[in-house]
This record gives sequence, structure tokens and C-alpha cells, in this order.
Amino acid sequence: MKMEAQMISNLLPHRYPFLLLDQVIKLDPGKSAVGIKNVTINEPYFTGHFPGEPIVPGVLLVESLAQLTAVMYSTGHFPETIDWEHLESEEIDFRGVASKVGYLVNIKNIKFKQLVRPGDTLELRVYKKTQFENLSQIKVEAYVDGKNVVDGIISVSERP
Amino acid sequence: MELATKEQVLEYAKKRRMVCAAIKRIIVDQLCLDIEPEFITNDQPLFGRGLELDSIDALELAVGIFSEFSVTVSDGNSAVFSSVNTIADYIMSQDYDDSNLQPVD
Repeated sequence: MKMEAQMISNLLPHRYPFLLLDQVIKLDPGKSAVGIKNVTINEPYFTGHFPGEPIVPGVLLVESLAQLTAVMYSTGHFPETIDWEHLESEEIDFRGVASKVGYLVNIKNIKFKQLVRPGDTLELRVYKKTQFENLSQIKVEAYVDGKNVVDGIISVSERP
Repeated sequence: MELATKEQVLEYAKKRRMVCAAIKRIIVDQLCLDIEPEFITNDQPLFGRGLELDSIDALELAVGIFSEFSVTVSDGNSAVFSSVNTIADYIMSQDYDDSNLQPVD
């Protein structure tokens, strides 16, 4: 199963320049997901972060993980009979799915263990730990070349 | 639960004090509060006035209670978080894991 950017933008309300997720390569709907974010020198924030030393801002790494989380839990509402290989041909109310995406409500114990630079491919991993009412706590991790670069816990809300 | 003998009553009361102490420690640790656990009283409201916790903190407490006692607080059951006493009542009404409990004096 591979979900590309076009399909991701059906599931998320985010748009340029803030759609920070390129692919979803593994998905257990409502439970866990693995995604890809490629970093290029062309990212607009490198102009200022920092001149002569381009580094991806940590908060944007968290945002990428939060967007993967949104894909993970919004697909949890899909019917079980869905054909994941041909999602585009399924009759899904994508606008309804995207409108359920809530907000990031908590960032806990996030460690940024290594600098992320242009040319790096981020492998993002999210696992749902606990849900209580409309809030879920998610274990998040990011890797570059198999090395752990981000590790921590976030909480996200879901709209009714 | 049925309490028959005096010994059973005392044993239950002792266990409840241990559960309450553990809950206070979870509240302080999980929410990174800058107070001593003993500062929280058993009947003090946790949300609104009182400790002024919010729904984000409720999720943290649900996580802490699960990892300590293996007890899940289900949706629609948020009244459980009213006070330390209500949390203790709920935990002790479930099939909970008491292996992490620390003795209290």
C-alpha cells in the first residue's frame, strides 16, 4: 500500500506551503502509520533558518508527524471493505473526512536528536497509544537513514 | 463488595489509601505539576476550580491510570476524574493491577 501526495491532500485540509507529508507507505487505519517527507533546499524557510546553515525547524518536524497522525486517524473512519490499492475509485466523502481533522493539543517530551538538512528523507512513524473522548495520545518518531532524529509524544483532537 | 470481618475492612481501607496516594503521584508526575502529591486532598475538585485541570490533562490521567493500574477509563465516563476519591472508587470497582502500589503510613 502506498498513498501519494494527491490522495493525502484529499484527506487533510492542509495546503501549500503547509502540506508537510509526501507519502504514506504503511497504514493500519486508526492505529499506526509510516510516512515519508522529503526535504529539499527549495523549502522557503531555509532563507531564514538559517542563512548559510539550512536546518529544518523542529516544530515543522512535529507538524509533519501531526499530519501523518491525521491521516492515520481519519482513515480509521473508512469502511472496512475499502480497496486500499484503488482508493481514488472508491466513493468516499473526502471533504467530510478532511473536516474531521482537529488540532494539535499537546507536545510532550519531544527530543530532537539530530539536525535534519536538505536532501534528507524523513521516515515518520506514529502509533496511537490511548484515546479519551475526542483526544488521542500518539507516540511519534522520525528517522533519517535509519537513525532516530525525533522522538516523543503528541496529543491531537478530532472534530465530531 | 461485601466486607465481612474487621480485618477485611481494615485491609480494604489500607489498600484504598495506597490507591489514593498512587493517584496523587500520577497527577503530579503526568501533568508535571509543581506541587507535592500530598498537597492534593481526596475530595478536592480536579477540574474547573480546585486544581484547574482541563480535557488535555484528562487524557494524560487516563494514560497514567492505564499504565499504573491497567484500568481503562472509557469515553463518556469523564465524571470519574472529578476527584481523587472518584478515581479511587472507579479503579477499585474494576479488576485492577495492584502490583505497583507502594505502602503508605
